[in-house]
Amino acid sequence: MTAPSRFTATSPAGNIYDLGYRHYEGKRNGRAYAMWSLFVESFRGIWGFGRPTTAKVAPFLLAGFYALPAVVQLAFSSVITQQVASGANVTLLTYDSYFPAFSILVFFFCVAQAPELVCRDQRNQVLPLYFTRSMGRIEYALARLGSLATALFLLLLVPTLALFVGDVLMKPDTFGAVGDEWPRALPAVPATALISAGLAAISLAISSFSPRRAYSAIGMVAYVLLMEAIPAAIYSIGQTSGSSWSDKLFLVTPLTSLNGAVHWFFGEKLDPQDFSGNLTSGEYLAAALASIVVMTAVLAYRYRRVPA
Amino acid sequence: MALIETASLSKYYGPVKALDGLDLRVEPGIIGLVGANGAGKSTLLKVLLGLISPTAGRASVLGMDSVTETRSIRQFVGYMPEHDCLPPDVGATEFVTHMARISGLPRTAARERTAEVLRHVGLYEERYRQIGGYSTGMKQRVKLAQALVHDPKLLLLDEPTNGLDPAGRDEMLDLIKRTGTEFGITVVVASHLLGEIEQVCTYLLAIDAGHLLRAAPISTFTERTPVLAVEVEEGADRLVTALAASGARARQDGPRVLIALNSEALYDDVRDIVADLGLPLVRVQQERGRLEDLFRDAAPTAGSAG
Repeated sequence: MTAPSRFTATSPAGNIYDLGYRHYEGKRNGRAYAMWSLFVESFRGIWGFGRPTTAKVAPFLLAGFYALPAVVQLAFSSVITQQVASGANVTLLTYDSYFPAFSILVFFFCVAQAPELVCRDQRNQVLPLYFTRSMGRIEYALARLGSLATALFLLLLVPTLALFVGDVLMKPDTFGAVGDEWPRALPAVPATALISAGLAAISLAISSFSPRRAYSAIGMVAYVLLMEAIPAAIYSIGQTSGSSWSDKLFLVTPLTSLNGAVHWFFGEKLDPQDFSGNLTSGEYLAAALASIVVMTAVLAYRYRRVPA
Repeated sequence: MALIETASLSKYYGPVKALDGLDLRVEPGIIGLVGANGAGKSTLLKVLLGLISPTAGRASVLGMDSVTETRSIRQFVGYMPEHDCLPPDVGATEFVTHMARISGLPRTAARERTAEVLRHVGLYEERYRQIGGYSTGMKQRVKLAQALVHDPKLLLLDEPTNGLDPAGRDEMLDLIKRTGTEFGITVVVASHLLGEIEQVCTYLLAIDAGHLLRAAPISTFTERTPVLAVEVEEGADRLVTALAASGARARQDGPRVLIALNSEALYDDVRDIVADLGLPLVRVQQERGRLEDLFRDAAPTAGSAG
């Protein structure tokens, strides 16, 4: 049997050339490796790497906006130092107030990028290709969740670092300042981890229910708006009628409970101006942790049943 | 060892019986899995892959149970779904490499295998372009490539020629044939197009309404039958009457006359009668079985049996 001519430059494109087939005898890794591979692919996808340039715009723009105030404060640290020296009363951004102040930008980041992670494979029906490989349904969901949480963690950590550097530079004795400053900055790390996990779980759990990005995004916004507004409304009604339990409803709020929990790490009491009701930061922390568990369970439930 | 074995395998979707007590034994080769739309082909493939679990009965692939040893099976099975399954915004290389890594291939091996497999399926310069811009034929090639990239022992293809033009269809069939023969990979091709199955497969599994109609080497379906077909331009009815008068069992089928071939003398009788009647003869040939007959003949029997 003669093989058709190979490597001929004149052959029309699309012909099948016979170069022989080699079997693969090498290593085959297990599911941990498959999860890691999906984690890496997801993480790259969140930031738009390996995708068209337009896919990089939204994540980097939103991340930039979120970091901007801290970076500005860092850039003007020498000016601020002079102002403080001249006796001016300057209110600076602090580690504990940064996320609560700008959390809406982080939420927008989730709205923009979370649907990308879970809708794309449903919409394009790629899931059967994963689930017929060494990748279980739950593992798929967890790898996606981990990658979003990691991306958020980095996103949130950048301004914290900028604040830290700025605070250090504002002190006359730089090296001494590092020693003074880091115990104050350190609680930001576990707080950031909590926020990342919380937002990632909520975002993916809701997004995963629709194969369409737009519906997922609307679903996320609707969920957060309603879950923030309804407890607040009931609380204000409860205030006038003298209810004793209506403040507990704030525990179901997605963003407020994360904001409240952040203060727990810094060991502060909640300011009643920002947090209505009588809840402590510890209660908010418990609520945030519970929300992570529940939302992860919802995500897992969805992926147990998602058609493939 | 049988590559695929099922024992009274059943899968019900509510009242619908997609698979109903299916008993199969598949040996290595290129196996055609034929049946009408909704006969249970896709369901069978999904059960074998462990994507869905059977309602009753059991299936084993490569000697491993499809429910309890799904993970071990999947390392050695490649699956090309019937539907579109490619994200539009990445290149073929990136996508297939990713799928290779999900199959457990280390990074460099994944890259090498991807390059090799894409070349095998006939994707060259365009493999770096985004899949969204591909033609249907190219997409089908990428789908086949991702099923082959981890060098499976068994390849399950669900309607691989769906949506292809005749040229693309022939290329895909050729590719399947080479995969089965040269690469030494057992291929199961599910299709409702019998012509395709006839072209590439060595063995045929015919299923209908979740039952096994027949399982046999493809040659047994297409061997000669004891029927002589005589085609005349006109006067087929007169020929039938004359043949009947001479004692032969004949019936008209359009311009053709089909005669039960029971002795060599029949050829002489036919020649004489045609000559006597002065009919314009086109051809005389012994009928070959066609795969279509399988369904035409078997459908009523299956119905009456069930």
